[in-house]
Amino acid sequence: MDIELNDAELVRQIGSGNDREAEAELFRRMAPRVRLYGLRHLRDEQAAQDLTQQVLITTLEALRAGRLREPAKLASFVLGACRMTVLDLRRNAQRKERLLEQFGADLLPPVPWSLPHLDHEQLTRCVQNLKERERSVVVMTFYDEQTSADVSRLLGVSDANVRVIRHRAIHQLRECMGVAA
Amino acid sequence: MSCSNPIDAAVLADYWLAALAGPEEEAVELHLLDCDPCGARLGEVMALAEGVRRIARQGSLRMIVSDSFLKRVAEAGLRVREYAPPAGGGVQCTVTAEDDFLIARLAADLSGAKRVDLCLCDERGVEQGRMPDIPVQPAAGNVLYQESITWAKAMPSSTMLARLVAFDEAGGERLLGEYTFNHTRSLPGPGAWPPAA
Repeated sequence: MDIELNDAELVRQIGSGNDREAEAELFRRMAPRVRLYGLRHLRDEQAAQDLTQQVLITTLEALRAGRLREPAKLASFVLGACRMTVLDLRRNAQRKERLLEQFGADLLPPVPWSLPHLDHEQLTRCVQNLKERERSVVVMTFYDEQTSADVSRLLGVSDANVRVIRHRAIHQLRECMGVAA
Repeated sequence: MSCSNPIDAAVLADYWLAALAGPEEEAVELHLLDCDPCGARLGEVMALAEGVRRIARQGSLRMIVSDSFLKRVAEAGLRVREYAPPAGGGVQCTVTAEDDFLIARLAADLSGAKRVDLCLCDERGVEQGRMPDIPVQPAAGNVLYQESITWAKAMPSSTMLARLVAFDEAGGERLLGEYTFNHTRSLPGPGAWPPAA
């Protein structure tokens, strides 16, 4: 199969029949993206994995049945499925087992994924080289994911200023670590 | 695969921190579900966030912190050693192997200060380092300075002075407070700094 199919072509191919290769390609393409959504909203590796499986099952069900009327809007459909599934995951943990039995674990292998490696000694130097306000904002923000409003109260600056300081610091850290802004 | 409209890393950090408004968050999510390069960049931002969190937990940064930061640290089971000398006063201090964070609570009247610097000096009062324009809460009445616990654990018995200075509109410098730390080493290791060559 041509793996360079765009999303719309992939949707049509899956909708046209029982094309396991096209379905596997959809999984390969979309699973890492859905996983990021899961990590962002669920903050848990295993929960993100569960979300990925369920969203892709929901998507495959819809595509097989031809329910996605505008194939070019696959991302919108998947985003909707992500949102519904996050709610569903919090309500119903047992649906997963039933669906896994129905679709088979071979189609839905765990997504190998890990955070990019960072040189922590270099990062320590980079953080220490930030200006005082930037260092405090970045550390307090990321240490326990405080909002701009929380940090602004702590540091006596406005919310907008905290955001500006954080943006500047992130760009500086990325530059210091040798990655593009 | 390339992206014709890449999302800035700082915006991805906002997304990761749930700091975007609804429509902006939705636009970012739609883009991420269609764009692997931006997803990879989000992964880098997540790694950066995790790296900063890990470094913060080590207590090895010299920085200004807040009471709520210290509260979170303590809730995480980390041990905070804190000294609070009065302005113009001194304190006997040490660190042990069990300490995770070392904090100096520097009392000062910060009202009206437009810019505050923290100067770190040797026992003769000679400035060895300066943290310019530190973040302060004017109403707090103190500054929480985190010394690197790694450095403190390696430090021999010695005296250090800290000074808080404020700058007025015209750039004039005003001493807010001077604090003396008489550190006694309680860990095995060198008892004093090596003599100067």
